[in-house]
This record gives sequence, structure tokens and C-alpha cells, in this order.
Amino acid sequence: MATENENQVTRQVLFVDDEADFLQMVKEALTPLSEGAWTIHCATSTDAALAILDRKNLDLVVVDINMPVLDGIQFLNVLNQRDPQLKKVILTGHATEEKRTQSIANGAELFIEKPHAIEEMKAVFAMLDDLMNWAPQQGFQGGQRRVSLQDVIQMECLGRNSSVLEIYNEHVLGRVYIEDGQLTHAAGGDLTGERALEKLLSLPGGSFELVPFEPPPQRTLTSPWDMLLAEANRARLAAEAGQNFGQPAIDAETLTLATEDASARVIETLICNGHGEPLYDFGCPDAHARMTFLLTVANQAALLTQILPLGEFDRLEMNLSDGRAVGQANTDRLIFIRATHGKSAAAA
Amino acid sequence: MKDPLKEWLGERANTIGIIACGFRRANGKFLCHSNDTACPPDKMERILRLLDGTRPVIAGAGLSPRWSNWSFGQGQIRFVTRHDGWMFAVAVRNETEIARHLDVLATEFLTLDLAR
Repeated sequence: MATENENQVTRQVLFVDDEADFLQMVKEALTPLSEGAWTIHCATSTDAALAILDRKNLDLVVVDINMPVLDGIQFLNVLNQRDPQLKKVILTGHATEEKRTQSIANGAELFIEKPHAIEEMKAVFAMLDDLMNWAPQQGFQGGQRRVSLQDVIQMECLGRNSSVLEIYNEHVLGRVYIEDGQLTHAAGGDLTGERALEKLLSLPGGSFELVPFEPPPQRTLTSPWDMLLAEANRARLAAEAGQNFGQPAIDAETLTLATEDASARVIETLICNGHGEPLYDFGCPDAHARMTFLLTVANQAALLTQILPLGEFDRLEMNLSDGRAVGQANTDRLIFIRATHGKSAAAA
Repeated sequence: MKDPLKEWLGERANTIGIIACGFRRANGKFLCHSNDTACPPDKMERILRLLDGTRPVIAGAGLSPRWSNWSFGQGQIRFVTRHDGWMFAVAVRNETEIARHLDVLATEFLTLDLAR
């Protein structure tokens, strides 16, 4: 791992890429940026990378995807088997949502596009340095992989927590401040407030991290968090206008459906992965029963499509006397959300 | 005196976007209408029976919906139940006007005077 040298911790970082020129550029750019805090190792093949792994205690391995013999995602699996604790990052020149999903699913902490300019290299350095300095916090271990920004914000708000969500990709660094379960401030690029929140929630890729709460420099968000999320999602849908940025864990429409009444209150949320393991549970009286229900719904939907082929099942929405419930069940995610109406519906 | 159900059906059943719709009367008899060969009346009846059979599962989950909406990639099925035993289901294509107004259909069915 990191070595002490004259009171300075030196991080051991390995870059694996079959393009020697790119590795040279990385070394020349990052060495001065790290101001001696990083020792950069380079390997143009996975074999060479494994040889370095045998000799060095590494803090971080940064891997290209498109490599001969063993591609980057396959190499992630090798690294997982050798050292599950080793931090791994994919750095690719051909970023797609599918590759991002595969990379995160195979243990990459970050998925970053290759930088083309020195300014972008600085952003990459900052992300990698942050990653090496990051240690899992109590109460936020595991579970965040493949969970969307919306999920995390919802979890923090429902839990009435105070925290700061840092969001970054190669283009944007943003922060969302959550105080006692309410969104108080968002900033991203030149934007603040609701527009910043919309922009951050619309990012197609990148990374995020919950850090300890600190007071925001200003308060730019005043509406209830569920309204802000629903509005940001509506804006995102409008902006996407048919573009497909991949399916977030709770897609915008599901959340909007469950809480479309502005005064609606979410009283139950269950998110499970494809193996039936709960990723998030709020107010769910019996998670196992809910999962069984969602799987039954999926089976019934399959029977319906046998009778009338209407395409892939998306969701079951239910109008209840006191609100709405929405269930989704697909191969990698089970979601159940229940919300009660606010005053307007209750009076109706 | 006109049959309010047939009157309503005459007004609504042929709306563009509706693939098929069907009723289960309080006496258990079915009345189904189709606008599309993909879903003839006998298939619509099967859909209604299937949705009726799903009600105990939903009730077992502690949910008592006035209506439920099954959304798929290319269409939706709205299922509405009344306290007097009547049921209504309609299958519609997505991206049609009627797909955005299923709440209206459901509300109309729930308030139809079917006792006459």
C-alpha cells in the first residue's frame, strides 16, 4: 500500500493501457500534479500489470477497456479475485452506458472517459486522488453500487440525515447539501439551486460520494425534497426528449407517478437487486412479502403479454383510496413505492 | 330506456388507441369489444379473468386499488373494479390520446349508473 517517505504518503498507482503513448502522457501529466505524492506505474498489457501487482502493494489500478487478450472488464474480475479491497477505475476512450454499467457491476469504483487536454487531466487526477483518500463511512458501506443519485438523495432525505453529496464526472463537479432530510443547496458548474439539481441529476455518468455534512455557503433550495426531485426528474425527461441515458434505479416516471400530487408523502420504499437483496428499505412492513408480491406481479405481467403482446413489462401502478403505489420488477431490480395523498386528495 | 353501459360503450369503445375493452357484469357474465385483431373478444375475456385472478394477490399485499394500470413497452392495460362487482378492463396503445386519459375512463366507469 502507500509508503511513507519523509513524512509524505506516496500512493502507488498502476495504469494499464495498450497504448504506450497514452501511458507516457499520463505519467508526464500526473507526476507533477501529484507533487510527488504518487508513484505511477505503467503496463501495456495485463500480463505486465500482473507482474507489477506481484511486486508492489498498489493503492489503485486504472484500466483501459479495449485491450487485446483480456479486456478491461475481464481484468477487473482478475483483480477482484486477487485483491477485493484494491480500488479499481476504468478509464476509456469509448464510454457507453452499457460499458459503464458493466464496469461498475464488475467492481470499478469509477468509470471515467479518457482526458484529451491538460485541464481534463487535472479533473481525472482530482477524482483518482479523492478515491484513494476515500474510506467507507459507517452506515454507507456497500449498496451504493448501481444505485442512482436519486436513490441516494431519497435515502438521505427519508432518513432525515445531514450530508453533502459530491458528484463529479469529467465535465462537472457538483454538490448537493442535505440538512435534516431536506435539500438546502445545490451547485454544479455555474448553476445553483433547482437548475443545478436538474443538471446534476441529468448527468449520464460519473461518480458520487456522500461526505460528512458541512453548512452550505448559501440556501438555494426551499421546496420539499420530494417535490424538488420530482420537478428535476420532469425537467430531465423533457430535456432528454427521447434520448436514452440508461435506466436509473428508480426511473423518473415511477417516482413522479408515486408522488405526482405535490403534497404526496412517500410512506414506503423498497429497492432490491436482482438477487432479491434489499438495497434500501424505508417503511416496508415485510420486505420479503413485498419481493414475493413483485415477483408475482412480474409473472402475471408475463401471462398478460402472452395473451396480448404489448412489449416488455414496465410497471404496475395502483390507485388506492389514500394514495398510490407503484411496483416494478425486472431482472436486475425490484422496486416498490407507496405514497399517500396530501390534503387536496384527502379532502376530495 | 337506454342501457347506460351500451350507451357508454358506444361513446368510448371505438376511440383511437383502444385495442380492446371488456366488462364483467355483477352476475359474472362478460361483455367484450375489440378494435384490433391482435386482441379479439375472447382474448379480452381471458385478460379480464387473469386480472380478476390477480386481485387476491394484490389484496394479500395489503393493497385495495380502485384501479390498477399495467404498463408495457407498447401499451397499457387499465383494470377497474367496482364495489357492486362490476369490472372493466381496457387495453390501449401507448403514444395515443386515450393512453393519457385512462383516468377519465376509469372514473366514468366507476360512476356509471349500472343498477338500471
